[in-house]
Amino acid sequence: MPIHEQSLIRPENLTTHDQLVVDGVDVSGHWSTFIQSRVVTDYNEAMQDEIAALPGGENVHRCWQCGSCTNSCTVNAINPEFNPRHWIYLVRIGMESEILRDKDIIWQCVSCNKCTYACPRDVVPEGVMKALSHWLELKGHVKPSPSMVFDEVFSEQVFQHGKIEEGRVMQRFFKRTGQSLNQPWLIEMMRRMLRHLPVGMLTKLGLATLVAPRTSGWSGARAAIEEYVHEQEHKRRRALGLDALIEAAKRDAGPVTAGEGARS
Amino acid sequence: MNKPILIVGGGPAGLAAAHALARVGQNSVVVEKEDRLGGAPILSGYAKLVPSGEWARDAIGGMVDRVRNDPLVDVQTSARVESFAGQPGAFSARLSNGASVDAAAAILCTGFTHFDSVNKPEWGFGTFPDVVTTTQVEQMISSGKGVRCPSDGRKPKRVAILLCVGSRDRQIGREWCSKICCTVSANMAMEIREELPDCHVYIYYMDIRTYGLYETRYYWRSQEEFKVKYIKARIAEVTSNGEQLVVKGEDTLVKRPITIPFDMVVHAIGMDPNVDNKTIASTFGIDLERHGYVARGNAYGNTAETSRAGVFVAGAACGPETIDDSIAQGHAAALAALGLLQPARARA
Repeated sequence: MPIHEQSLIRPENLTTHDQLVVDGVDVSGHWSTFIQSRVVTDYNEAMQDEIAALPGGENVHRCWQCGSCTNSCTVNAINPEFNPRHWIYLVRIGMESEILRDKDIIWQCVSCNKCTYACPRDVVPEGVMKALSHWLELKGHVKPSPSMVFDEVFSEQVFQHGKIEEGRVMQRFFKRTGQSLNQPWLIEMMRRMLRHLPVGMLTKLGLATLVAPRTSGWSGARAAIEEYVHEQEHKRRRALGLDALIEAAKRDAGPVTAGEGARS
Repeated sequence: MNKPILIVGGGPAGLAAAHALARVGQNSVVVEKEDRLGGAPILSGYAKLVPSGEWARDAIGGMVDRVRNDPLVDVQTSARVESFAGQPGAFSARLSNGASVDAAAAILCTGFTHFDSVNKPEWGFGTFPDVVTTTQVEQMISSGKGVRCPSDGRKPKRVAILLCVGSRDRQIGREWCSKICCTVSANMAMEIREELPDCHVYIYYMDIRTYGLYETRYYWRSQEEFKVKYIKARIAEVTSNGEQLVVKGEDTLVKRPITIPFDMVVHAIGMDPNVDNKTIASTFGIDLERHGYVARGNAYGNTAETSRAGVFVAGAACGPETIDDSIAQGHAAALAALGLLQPARARA
C-alpha cells in the first residue's frame, strides 16, 4: 500500500487487556484498548553499512527517494505493498523494525531490473533487494524457502563432485525440507521409468545412484571453489557482525575456558 | 584625478568593485562600518568556501590585501555614510567619521545580515548550548579547534543539520530561499565527516537546492562519498532529555513521528536583508523590494542599477547571493558606474 494510504493505527499496535481493573472499575476487553506509540525513537546506524557490505547493496547510500524504482517496478504493479523506494529509505535511515514488518514480501522481487535502468543515481535497487533478502536470511529473520534449500543441495553437489546426480539431489532436498519420499507422484514416475526406459539407460541410472559420478581431476577446482565460498561467507558474516554474535552466544551458553576463547 | 566612486561596504562585492575600478585607473572610496574589510566571510570567520575549497582567510583575505595596497582605493573603516545628495557625476556624501566625499557615483555593496536563530525558539538555539548555527560551526572549523559540543567540549557522535532556518517561513516573515544554505550544509557535513569519521551527520530538509554544478560536487558527493543522510522532515522542536538533545518531527517519507537523540544540532541559518537597509534606503533615496532587500532598477538591461540614477548595487544587498556571484556583480556594478561617467570614451 502506498505510504500516504497507510493507516496511522496499525493492528499490531493495538493492545487489549482481558483482565484489567482500574480504580476498582473493571475495564476488561475492548474497554481497555490502547494504541501503542508509533514514534521512531532511534536510528540503527549500522544498517546501511550492513546492506552495503552484501553483494548488490553497495550503492544504497546514493538514494534520494525519487521513486523511479517503485514506479517502474513489475511487482509493485501487482502488489502495491511491494515498494523498493520505501525499503531503501528504511535501510538508509536504519529503521530496522519497519523493515521486519515487510520481511515476507521483500523477497518477491523478480529481478526484472527495470528499476536498475530507471534509477537516476545508479543505486541498483534490484541489487539492494537481493542484498536485503540475503540480510533477512543471514540475520535469521526468515526461514530458508524450499527453493533456497534446493539451491543449496544442488550447489553442494556441484562443488563436491563437479556434477550432480538427480536422485541424490531429490533425496537430500526431500530430507532437508522434511518431506517424505513416499509421494504418490514420485512413485508413479519411478514405476513408469522402469517400464519404459531402455535397459541400458536404466543400468546407467542405477549405477549412478550407487556410485556418485564425479568430474575427473575435480579436486583442484573443488578446493578453489570452497575457499572462495568460505571467504565470501566469512566476509558477509563479519560485515553483519554475526561472528561476534555467535561468539557471544557461545560464551553465554557453555563453559568455554579463557584459553580457548583467546585462540578463536 | 577623477572624482572617486563611492563604494559602500567592504565585503566580496565591494572589494571586487574597488579592484575592478582601480584596474582601469578609476579611484574609489570604500566605506566600511566595521573596523576591518572582508565582509561576512572574514568577519564571521568562514572556513572553506564553496566552490573552490579555499580557506576564506586566503581567498577573501587576498582580495582585502589587494585593495588595501592599492593607491587608487581610499579605505574608510569604522565609518558609515550619513548623508548623500546630488546628481549622477556630482554626488556629495558625508561620513560618520566627519569626512566628506565628492563622488561621481555610488555602488551599494551593503550585503546581508545572518538570520538570528533566537527568532525560532522552538529549535532550541539560546536554550541549549549544543544547538549552534552554521556560522558557529564555520568558526569551529576555521579556528582549527574542530567540531565540538559547546556544553562540554566532547566530539559529537551524531549531528543534525536543520535546513531553512530563517528561510521559506511565512511565520517569521521570511518567504525567500536563502539559496546557499543547502550547499553550505552539504559542504559542512562532509567537513564534519572528514574530521570525525565516527560521527553520523543527518540533514533534515524540505527540499534540497544545491543548484547548478553544486549538485554533484556537494549533494551527490556528500551522499556517495561521505554517507551523509538526508531526511525529508521539517523539525517541530528541539528539546533535551538531560543528556542529549532530542529532535522531534515527522519523517514524511514513512509518515512516522520521530524523536531522535543528537549530540549537536546545527541551524543552517539564512540570509536576512541587512538590518540597516531601511536607513540605507532613506540615506541614498532608493527603493527596497518587498522582502526588504535593495530593489534592482532593471532586471536585464543593466542589472547593477537601483531606482536612483548613479546609485548602483551589487551582491547580497539585493537578495541572498553566493560569494562568487557577489564578486561578479561587483565587477558588473563597477563597469556600470564607469559607463555612466565616461560615455564619450566608451564611444570613441
